[in-house]
Amino acid sequence: MSNDPEKVWPTGLTLKEAEEVHSYLIDGTRVFGAIALLAHVLVAVSTPWLG
Amino acid sequence: MNNAKMWLVVKPTVGVPLFLGAVAVGSFAVHVAVLSNTTWVADFLSGASAGGSAALQTEQAILPASADATTLPMYIETHADGTQMMRVILPDGRSATLVMDDLTQAALR
Repeated sequence: MSNDPEKVWPTGLTLKEAEEVHSYLIDGTRVFGAIALLAHVLVAVSTPWLG
Repeated sequence: MNNAKMWLVVKPTVGVPLFLGAVAVGSFAVHVAVLSNTTWVADFLSGASAGGSAALQTEQAILPASADATTLPMYIETHADGTQMMRVILPDGRSATLVMDDLTQAALR
């Protein structure tokens, strides 16, 4: 497998694998961002934050 | 998948913890900055209402800024238990009593 022509170095991942890693990262960022957005809205309405 | 090719160059075992660590350190730093530059978080953690309006109202001056403290008809009495009471003669002749209680000590009693 180490001489797989699809693999790209220095990481040795294929483009498909790299895109899969990236998709999880993007999904995680979106979920984190959605929760953070909700939390910030709740803080903004319930505390003096932002005046 | 604009930037997916970065994982052909950066090992995910290095890049993912680095990314998550940067997010964690960044958000922690922002929250520390809010804590150290405002009073309402500490006030809330000490039992004050989360809505700041009530806390702000208690800070309003009850005497005009022009009042002369040396001529105010104001008397301070100290009780045996350490609490203090302040008696003020209001302009219309009534008297008002202000009790100054150390809330941290009161909570421990």
